[in-house]
Amino acid sequence: MQPIRTMQFGFGAALAVLIVVGAVAYRSVIASNESTRWTEHTHEVLEHITSLRSAMANVESGYRDFAFSGDETFLQSARVNTQRLHEELSTSRALTTDNPVQQNRIAILAGLLQQTVLDGEQLHAVTGSMEREERRLLTERSTDEERRFRQAKHVVILACAAGFLMAVIAGWMLQRNLSARERAEAKYRGLLEAAPDAMVVVNQFGRIVLLNLQAEKRFGYRSNELVGQHVKNLIPEGFAERLIADGTRSAVEALAQQIGMGIELQGRRKDGSDFPIEIMLSPLQSPEGILVTAAIRDISVRKSAEEYLVKTVGELKRSNDDLGHFAYVASHDLQEPLRMVSSYTQLLAKRYQGRLDADADEFIAYAVDGSNRMQQLIRDLLAYSRAGTGEMEFREISSELALHKALVNLQSAIQESCAVVTYDSLPAVTTDDTQLSQVFQNLIANAIKYRSVEVPRIHVSATADAGRERVFSVRDNGLGIDPKYFDRIFVLFQRLHGREQFAGTGIGLAICKKILERLGGRIWVESQPEKGSIFHFALPGAAAK
Amino acid sequence: MIASTGTHTAPIEVLLVEDSPGDVRLTREALKDAKVHISLHVAFDGVEAMAFLERAGKHVHAPRPDLILLDLNLPRKDGREVLKEIKESSSLKSIPVVILTTSSSEADVLQSYHLHANCYISKPVDLEGFLKVVQSIDNFWLSVVKLPRDPRS
Repeated sequence: MQPIRTMQFGFGAALAVLIVVGAVAYRSVIASNESTRWTEHTHEVLEHITSLRSAMANVESGYRDFAFSGDETFLQSARVNTQRLHEELSTSRALTTDNPVQQNRIAILAGLLQQTVLDGEQLHAVTGSMEREERRLLTERSTDEERRFRQAKHVVILACAAGFLMAVIAGWMLQRNLSARERAEAKYRGLLEAAPDAMVVVNQFGRIVLLNLQAEKRFGYRSNELVGQHVKNLIPEGFAERLIADGTRSAVEALAQQIGMGIELQGRRKDGSDFPIEIMLSPLQSPEGILVTAAIRDISVRKSAEEYLVKTVGELKRSNDDLGHFAYVASHDLQEPLRMVSSYTQLLAKRYQGRLDADADEFIAYAVDGSNRMQQLIRDLLAYSRAGTGEMEFREISSELALHKALVNLQSAIQESCAVVTYDSLPAVTTDDTQLSQVFQNLIANAIKYRSVEVPRIHVSATADAGRERVFSVRDNGLGIDPKYFDRIFVLFQRLHGREQFAGTGIGLAICKKILERLGGRIWVESQPEKGSIFHFALPGAAAK
Repeated sequence: MIASTGTHTAPIEVLLVEDSPGDVRLTREALKDAKVHISLHVAFDGVEAMAFLERAGKHVHAPRPDLILLDLNLPRKDGREVLKEIKESSSLKSIPVVILTTSSSEADVLQSYHLHANCYISKPVDLEGFLKVVQSIDNFWLSVVKLPRDPRS
């Protein structure tokens, strides 16, 4: 921008100098001309005075010769010359109106000529002084003319020199400026070409000013085909409208609202096919007004990936829902016939225990045990399929109250095992309290169940909200877990102990994991065999919402 | 005419609406030890239950039950509809209806009470539980509670 200003100023100054120089030269030439005219005028006057003097001499000699010879021809000649004398006198009077001294002399001369006897001496004296005057004027004017001519010549030479100098300076400045602009443009173009995206620079009328190779390639145009075209040819909708000011806002304001945002639009190739693009706009001040640089990214791949993702997520959700529904229906509907099997094997056992033979008793016992286990599995499967599926109510709750609720449910287990459950002051969290209670209950129940020979000591604590998540920990002094089983324990129906050692189907931690996933959290364990376990679970922190 | 007294000679009429023969038999077994003399009638679906109550068709001589044990999930006519019809009928609505079903869904519980069920019991999945429940019904509804007399008799 600065070089342009300097250049304008330079050109202005050059123009001003040229005008002044031109005017001076013009005036010099005019003055010189005037001077020449005056010289010529003096020559003319002198000519007439000479002629007047010769006429006067002729009159004199005419009369003298007539007086000598009495020849009428001389008299005639004298009269003709007198006539000429008068004519010359009036011409001279007309020519010397600018010179009062000469006018005065002409008047004296005219007075002398009126006399009957011409005084030759005086006439000669007057005309002589007139001639001398004119000769003096001639000398003076010639000198002046010469001086003025010289002056005019100098001025013209000077003007030419000044003009030439100005032209050279202007040319040099222009050259320097243009190369600066070229360099700047080359730099900018280089920048555009280096960009990974298609770049299009558009002026505020929506015309394409500059674009990079990627843009031409992306839109299927040949080199430079697009410069000067309207951007609507590339982006039919949604772009030009954003650039051009409407009634309520200026282009700058209109643009300011769009800066930095990725706007998803449709791009149109030369062959007319459309493809999804994302554009990022940034303004560019330029001597031609606001320009807009648009980085255009082909998002076909991303779009199809997004669509694929949405589709896949939808399918996954559907299949998950199906699975959940299946688990529910299967467990629910299996329960009915199983209830029959179980009830009647139990009835059989009740009525006929010891009344048949030992084999029958054993068979019945296995049938009863099998059906009981199956019932438990189905109940757990149902519980698992229900866990975290119902309506969740997320609100700020006291996690300590949720723990209390769990402890109430575990009251008998705690009493039987003489477990000591302690806890720090627990924070308020935004989650579903029933689900949180369930997690506490399952973890503490496990801590009691898998206790060592020592009195079970269980401690519940929580970290401060670290922003992204808040971690709760349930620490016990129980049996501990070999780290190689850490993943397995969270899987449905996976157990580390035989049924003879510990009852249960292996559902508790699977349910915890499912619930925490639904709550947006996670669960993990820290343990060594015989050193107790710490089960950690994290809930999303305030910053994660 | 006090139903709870063991001295009462006429048996207590109970209508069991239940589609599962296994459950019917279990109920019978459980009621075997009942303190009172119970006459158990069984309808295998809702339509038959209504026919029995309205003494329609082959049930023309059916007695008016003192207590109805109603399952919710029934073929042909749903237990909920049966309950609704009983409680909307001026002659039948005084008969206590005990919902005895496998469903433990909150929605079913709520709906049943909305339809004026007299109580709602989920069938326990194990035999002992089931026997206990039936014995409780027997004990409560057929011994403790004073049932209304048939206005027609």
